[in-house]
Amino acid sequence: MESATNNRERQSFFLNMGPQHPSTHGVLRLLLEMDGEYVLEPEPVLGYSHRIQEKMGESRSWAGFMPNTGRLDYLSALIYNHGYVGLIERMAGIEVPPRAEYIRVITSELNRISSHLLWLGAFLLDLGAFTPILYTFDDREQILDILEHVTGARLTYSYFRVGGVCSDVDQRFLEATRAFVGRLRGRFPIYEKLVTTNIIFIKRVKDIARFTPDMALRYGATGPILRGTGINYDIRRNEPYSVYPELEFDIPVGETGDCMDVYLVRVREMEQSLRIIEQALERLPEGPFRVKVPRRLKLPRGDASFSVETARGELTYYLVSDGSDVPYRLKVRSPSFSNLSLLPELCRNVLLSDLVMALGTIDPVIPEIDR
Amino acid sequence: MEELRALPAQVNEVDYRRRGYHVEVNLSAGEVRGFAGILRDRNFYLVFVSAVHLAPAVEVIYQLASHSDPCRIVGRAQPADDGSVPTISDIFTGANWHERETMEMFGVTFSGHPYPEPLLLPEDAADLHPLLKGDGGVKTVEQVRWPAGEGN
Repeated sequence: MESATNNRERQSFFLNMGPQHPSTHGVLRLLLEMDGEYVLEPEPVLGYSHRIQEKMGESRSWAGFMPNTGRLDYLSALIYNHGYVGLIERMAGIEVPPRAEYIRVITSELNRISSHLLWLGAFLLDLGAFTPILYTFDDREQILDILEHVTGARLTYSYFRVGGVCSDVDQRFLEATRAFVGRLRGRFPIYEKLVTTNIIFIKRVKDIARFTPDMALRYGATGPILRGTGINYDIRRNEPYSVYPELEFDIPVGETGDCMDVYLVRVREMEQSLRIIEQALERLPEGPFRVKVPRRLKLPRGDASFSVETARGELTYYLVSDGSDVPYRLKVRSPSFSNLSLLPELCRNVLLSDLVMALGTIDPVIPEIDR
Repeated sequence: MEELRALPAQVNEVDYRRRGYHVEVNLSAGEVRGFAGILRDRNFYLVFVSAVHLAPAVEVIYQLASHSDPCRIVGRAQPADDGSVPTISDIFTGANWHERETMEMFGVTFSGHPYPEPLLLPEDAADLHPLLKGDGGVKTVEQVRWPAGEGN
């Protein structure tokens, strides 16, 4: 046994993957200790897109930090908007008009779907399937057009405001969203045929990189990879915010926690998001979309926390205030940070090609990890 | 709750609607591992470890939550005289990265940490501690706590 270990040490070599590797999705670098095609020890090397966002959060008024929230996880920017306005509203005790809450939920869920669609295409691209991304980007483009019309941006949204949203939605938005719900429902059978039942796909993801409930607990992993292990935990349900308690939707969970289960969780989540959007459109009340909040509003002294469920898991903002309009400390707990930290344990002694699958399944967004 | 109250630490239930968490626990450095151990046994997960620069010392913040019950706990720890807090990365494996980040941003030492290297900052900026406040910017603990009777 000992000689085998020594032998291994002698044969191992280091492989540098990233920070510009196409399957590290952004500027993530992995330092891999390899033995042939097997990964002995993967070490993520972070910090390439570190912009010290938390310092920016405490060097300007709370209102001035709003655009930064859309630049942390640029794939679910609206949900990051949502967490931040929710935090300020909680601290200042501001009531938000119901119409604004419904608009927030509709646009957030559209954003969640667009994030999952991008993941779906990119994940399959990682395993060498080029066609699906052409389909998913076609669908995602529709969402970007809808959101561009109402928010003015296509990616780094800064649409929510403390007390409501920046502008009201119009008839064109409502019709386009309704049409999109119908369109995407019709596309799921295509994805099912193209991907889910594809034998090559199944061979690449079934029983690969098993996330376990214990691992998720120890690392604080959240989001689809947690639910893939069978734990039914979603902030929208377990610590409800906004108008989610009034809407009916299921939390899809997996059984074994392998890449296949997490894949299925994400696909089913898109279906549930469509359900949420449909109900919210149905119930969208008339009325004001924003209450006026003074821009130099002073926050009360003390600390507060607000959590939302992003496309990747739990986002928590934690703010410490000294009673002025500039936060004393703003901590951003991003989901991918904890999710990625379990990669070394998950990917010891696996094939390099399986590590690519595990990384794709975690779906990290690097600017959100580095902040 | 009962188990937490058994700790010598100060445990308060607070108003969730104002603060977004249910329980606050004020700890000394020596109680941190006991606090983490109890919550690990009760199947809590670690939300984050971070810190706030206050006078007289940097305060380390722990937030944990539960999958089964709506319960979010904030722990605040005062470092020991030498500026260190014991690591909890052997109890919650995920604390490893959070503690590395806190170390480089605030200069807090987590004693017993298995790999105390910078995580996000470049190697030559390891002594920068960018989240520390500049001269005159540091507040005292009382200046950032909820006023008595509010948020409880």
